Amino acid sequence: MEKLYKFLKYTFIILWTVFIVAPFLWAVSTSFKDFQSVNSKVTYIPWLDFEPTLEGWRVLVKSPARGGVDIVEPYFNSIFVTCTASLISIILGTLAAYALSRFTFKAGFVRNNDITFFFISQRIMPPIVLSIPFFIFLSTIGLLDSLLGLVVVYIVLLMPIAVWIMVDFFNRVPKELDETALIDGCNPYQAFYKVVLPNSIPGLIVAGMFCIIFGWIDFFFAFILTFTEVQLLPVKVVALNSSITPWWSLSASALISVAPLIIVAFVVERYLSKGNLSGALK
Amino acid sequence: MAKIELSNISHSYNPNDLNPTYALNPFSMIWENGKRYAILGPSGCGKTTMLNIVSGLVKPSKGNVLFDDNDVTNLITEERNIAQVFQFPVIYSTMTVFDNLAFPLRCRNFSEEKIEERVKSVSDTLRLSTFLNMPARKLTADQKQLISLGRGLVREDVAAVLMDEPLTVIDPDLKFRLRRNLKEINEEYKTTLVYVTHDQNEAMTFADNIIVMDQGEIVQVGLPKDLFERPKTTFVGYFIGSPAMNLFETQLHSDNSVKINDTTIKTNTNLSKLKNNNIKLGIRSEFVKVAKDESENLLEVNIQKIEDFGNFKLLTAKMGQLTIKSKINREIEISNNTIKLHFPAEKCCVYQNNKLI
Repeated sequence: MEKLYKFLKYTFIILWTVFIVAPFLWAVSTSFKDFQSVNSKVTYIPWLDFEPTLEGWRVLVKSPARGGVDIVEPYFNSIFVTCTASLISIILGTLAAYALSRFTFKAGFVRNNDITFFFISQRIMPPIVLSIPFFIFLSTIGLLDSLLGLVVVYIVLLMPIAVWIMVDFFNRVPKELDETALIDGCNPYQAFYKVVLPNSIPGLIVAGMFCIIFGWIDFFFAFILTFTEVQLLPVKVVALNSSITPWWSLSASALISVAPLIIVAFVVERYLSKGNLSGALK
Repeated sequence: MAKIELSNISHSYNPNDLNPTYALNPFSMIWENGKRYAILGPSGCGKTTMLNIVSGLVKPSKGNVLFDDNDVTNLITEERNIAQVFQFPVIYSTMTVFDNLAFPLRCRNFSEEKIEERVKSVSDTLRLSTFLNMPARKLTADQKQLISLGRGLVREDVAAVLMDEPLTVIDPDLKFRLRRNLKEINEEYKTTLVYVTHDQNEAMTFADNIIVMDQGEIVQVGLPKDLFERPKTTFVGYFIGSPAMNLFETQLHSDNSVKINDTTIKTNTNLSKLKNNNIKLGIRSEFVKVAKDESENLLEVNIQKIEDFGNFKLLTAKMGQLTIKSKINREIEISNNTIKLHFPAEKCCVYQNNKLI
C-alpha cells in the first residue's frame, strides 16, 4: 500500500512537472529556429534536428527601421508601470488594511466589512465594464496614452488585492502586539511602523508578489488605454504577430516576458522558506 | 511608582444601547504604592477590563482613574507609564532579546548606557542574560513570556506592572520560581504589582491583597487569610479553596445556633436579628474534623469515600441529602462506616441571601 502510494505520488509529480516544463522547453527550442525549421517538419533538438539561429532574438532588439520590433522600451515601460503601481498599492493598501483591521468605522449602515468588500468588489466586475469609465476618466484628465495614466489605472486594479491580503494578515496579528507597543511607550504611528509592520513582512511579500504578477500580465487595459506614445510589453508581444506568424520571435519574447516573474517566484520562495518569517507570536 | 485610585469606575462595551450591559459595575478602589494585588475571578468576570482601564487601553464609561491623585482618565496609554503583561507572550519577533527588553526605554529616549545597565539587571533577574543576542522568536514560549515580563520591569519608574494571567504558558516548576522572583522584584524595587489570575493558589501565594470578582462586581477585597476563613459571600467560599466550602441550607435555632436537619450547630455569630429565610451555614473542609471528645456541634455521617491526596486525605460523607467534605490528616485511619464530625463554632460562617452575617 505504502509503495503503491509512493509510486502514484511520484508518477503524478513527474507528469505534472512535464506538463509545466514542456511548453517552456518547446518555446526555448522554437526561439532558436528559423522559418524553415518551424514550418518544414517537426523538430526538437538544436544542432541534431535543426541548425539554431539567433534571428528570433535579434528581431526583438532591432529598431523597426531596420526590420525589427523593438521590445526593449515596452519592457522598461512595463517594469516602471508595474513596480510603481505595485509599490503605491502596497503602501496605500497596507495603511487601509491596518485601519480596517484595527479600528471600527461606522457610516450609516456601512461597517468595516462593507468597506473591505467594497475594495474586493472592484475585482469582481469584469474588466470590460471598467474600460469605458477608465477611458473617459483618463481622457478627461489628459492622461490617455501615458505611463502615468497606466499607473493610476493599475493602482485601482492592484490596491484591492493588497487590501484583501493585508486585512486578512493584520487580523491574524494579535492586537496585543499593538497594545504592548502602546504600553511600551509608542504612539499609534510608531506602534504601526516599528512593531506591526516588521511583523507583517510575509504578508507584504505575498501581497507584493500578487500585485507584481497581476500588474505585469495585464493586457486588456494596456491595450485599450494606450495607442502610439507608450506601449507595454504584453501589447507589444501580441503585436509581433503578423500574416506569417513569427513563432521564433514570439517564443523568445514570451520567454523574456515570463523571466521576471520566474525570478520573483524564486526569490520569494527562498525568502519564505527561510523560516524567519513564521512564529512571530506564541 | 504611584498610588492608583479607581473612583466610581464602571464600564460597558455597548454604552449607547438602550439596555447597556455592564462588564464592570460601579466600584471604587485604591491600590497602595509598592503592594502586590491579585485580582481573582472566573473567566469573563471583568478582570481584564479592569486592567485595561488602568493601562488606558479601555476608557471607562464612567468614573476616574487617578495616579498619585492626578486624574489620568483622559490620558492615552503611552502617556501613563504603565507596564502590562498579557496572557500569551507578546514579543517583537524581528528584534533580538536585548532590543526587545530595551524597546520601552528606547521609546522614552533613555541614554544607551542607562539602557545597557537596566537591560543587564533585568535579564540577570529573569535569567535571560545568555540569550540577549539571539533573535527573540527563536526562544521557547516560557522564555518569550519572560521577555514580556522583562519589558514590564525594565522601566524603574512605572506606575504599576499589570499582569494578565502571565504564567499560563509557563511550566509549573518555573511558575513557582517566577512568582518568587516577582515577589523579590516587588520587595526590591517597591513596584506596585497587579496580578490577574483565575488560579487561587497563585493569588494566595503571590499577593498581599486579593480582589475577588464575579460578574463585573467586586465581591471581596482582603488578605488571603480573610478570604479563606471568612468569605464574605458564598461565591467566594465556593470559588476559593479546594475543595470548595461546605455549604448547608439551615434553619435558625437560637440567637447563635442553627439547625442542620435535626442537629444543632452553635456559631460565634449573633443571629438574633435575622429572619428565618434563606440561611446557609458554611465551613471549610479544612476545619471539619473527626470528633474525638467534643460534646457539641457534632454531626453523625455516613462515609461515602476517602481519597488520599498524599499530604492529606479527603473524606466525603453524607448526612441524609447533605454532602460534607473534610480534609483530614493522613495518619487518621477510619474503620467505621458511620462517624461523628465536629464543626468548631468559631469557624462556622452564617450566610443570609448568600452574604456573610
